[in-house]
Amino acid sequence: MATAEADIANPQLHALLSGASFVWPGGRGVSDIDLSIRRGEIVTLLGPNGAGKSTVLKMLSGEIAPQRGHVSIFGEQHGPNVRRRIGLVLQEPSTDDLMTLQETLQLHGRLFGLRGHELDRRCRELLESLDIGDRADDRCETLSGGLRRRVDIARALLHDPDLLLLDEPTLALDPDSSQAIWQTLHNRAAHGTAIVVCSNDTVEAEHHADRVVFVDEGRVLAEDTPSSLTSGLKSDALELDWPALQDVDLDELKRWDGVGDTIRTDQGLHLTVDNSAEIVPRLFQTYGSQVTGIRIRESSLRDAWFKIVGRPIENGLGRKA
Amino acid sequence: MIEFAHASLALLTRDLRAVARSRSQLYSSLLFPLMLLALLGTGVSSGLSPTSPRILDGDYTSFLAPGMIAMTALFSSTFSSAGFYRDRESGLLRAMLASPHSPQTILFGKSLGAILIGTIQALAVLVLAVIIPGIDLSWQYGWLGGVATVVVTVLALNLMLSGLSLLLALKIKTMQGFHLIMNLVLFPLFFLSGAFFPLDEVPTWLEAIGYANPLTYAVDLLHYASYADSPDGLIGPLIDGLVLGLLAAFLFVIGLRRAPRAV
Repeated sequence: MATAEADIANPQLHALLSGASFVWPGGRGVSDIDLSIRRGEIVTLLGPNGAGKSTVLKMLSGEIAPQRGHVSIFGEQHGPNVRRRIGLVLQEPSTDDLMTLQETLQLHGRLFGLRGHELDRRCRELLESLDIGDRADDRCETLSGGLRRRVDIARALLHDPDLLLLDEPTLALDPDSSQAIWQTLHNRAAHGTAIVVCSNDTVEAEHHADRVVFVDEGRVLAEDTPSSLTSGLKSDALELDWPALQDVDLDELKRWDGVGDTIRTDQGLHLTVDNSAEIVPRLFQTYGSQVTGIRIRESSLRDAWFKIVGRPIENGLGRKA
Repeated sequence: MIEFAHASLALLTRDLRAVARSRSQLYSSLLFPLMLLALLGTGVSSGLSPTSPRILDGDYTSFLAPGMIAMTALFSSTFSSAGFYRDRESGLLRAMLASPHSPQTILFGKSLGAILIGTIQALAVLVLAVIIPGIDLSWQYGWLGGVATVVVTVLALNLMLSGLSLLLALKIKTMQGFHLIMNLVLFPLFFLSGAFFPLDEVPTWLEAIGYANPLTYAVDLLHYASYADSPDGLIGPLIDGLVLGLLAAFLFVIGLRRAPRAV
């Protein structure tokens, strides 16, 4: 308790969830979530659809209150003063087709107490920084998905929040839009904004997050920097299409030198190895045509997820071998 | 308080702008009552020659005019609630609710737009009814008092409908479900409100339903203020105003109190 009180008093700590639980009607939800978000860091909540990431985000934004445990933002309970310092980007673009970009930002700014020249200036600067300044007077119905997403980001940043919460901000976006959004987020983090991103994209999490939190079935399973999470992995990852994989073959494989984690998947087997150039020829030599396909890549956060959770981050239901 | 006023004004401006850009909504809200006045009014006046003393000189078109004002408010309220669903489905409502303001402030601001739009559209029908030749409104207590009464009645009616819409919209998750309920409940209520026929000449059971119907008091007050040439056969402004005012305040306050942070 003394630690929790010390944490709450820490000005560097922007958000704290402590033993927070919330169950939706129907049974889904999150349980005993402990999470701290510090000033200027980008934290990714990584997990498959339905893992509970959005529920955690809703507790942080104050849309729902934990049924057990507690949440503290900037050392306070949720209230108008806390919400004033939070920016929120929802999972789907949330713009009104009939409003222009400028009007969308103006409405939001006025709800956050901005007015007059200050509001005009911020709208103009944000739209320009996200490369949509020339579309300011266009209606949102004319924008592509990527540009709408930029409007969402601009709206969330308009009141200069200290805590920015984003639910899958780059989902299904073109690379240019994703790049523009991440650039903006890194700039904000550099100025002290704490950023929490929900995602199921391991590549983005590995490249952009300072800290990654694995969330699965409503629980936090691991939490660390991307490099720490991947540090114990063998260097290469192999995904084998091996429909007739037998337990005896798997046991044999585990005894090979240079083979790390092995996890059965729907297609066959996922394993990490020290050196794929040595293992792959040996695989084909030993098992021949049983292995019908193989994909080789460097080990990544995706493999760390595999190792810790025991199945791929996609919705496939693999099991740890 | 200033922040509350600014937020409400921002939401009101946005909703007014949205309606101004929805031309079809604007036109249909005026054209439909006018169409009913022209077709139903003329048809009944000529084809059925109504003899009720409440239908002055058998002129059904003029009798229908106050009811059309109430109907416009009803339609407008339904359209505005569709805007609530649109904002909820697009996520815009959730984004608004993430602002520092209470859910009550946000929904008050949105309802303000619905009330004002409904009032303006209903009064536009009144203006057209005054302009159109052949529609005779008696203004038994003078047009100034009559118009003021109509404005207050329409405002209260829109407040009541806005509160009801809010309650329904918070309960019913889909716009289709909402429209179904509105059609099932509000249209029968409207038909039994005295807008289409005087309630004092129908069978007792129908009259009883009519007097249990809140819309009856709005239509009665509109008849009293604009159309009727005497208070005979009308409920009267005191009871009308009391029922309408209390119900409007009750439904609106309850609707706002039920507003959740998460939608």
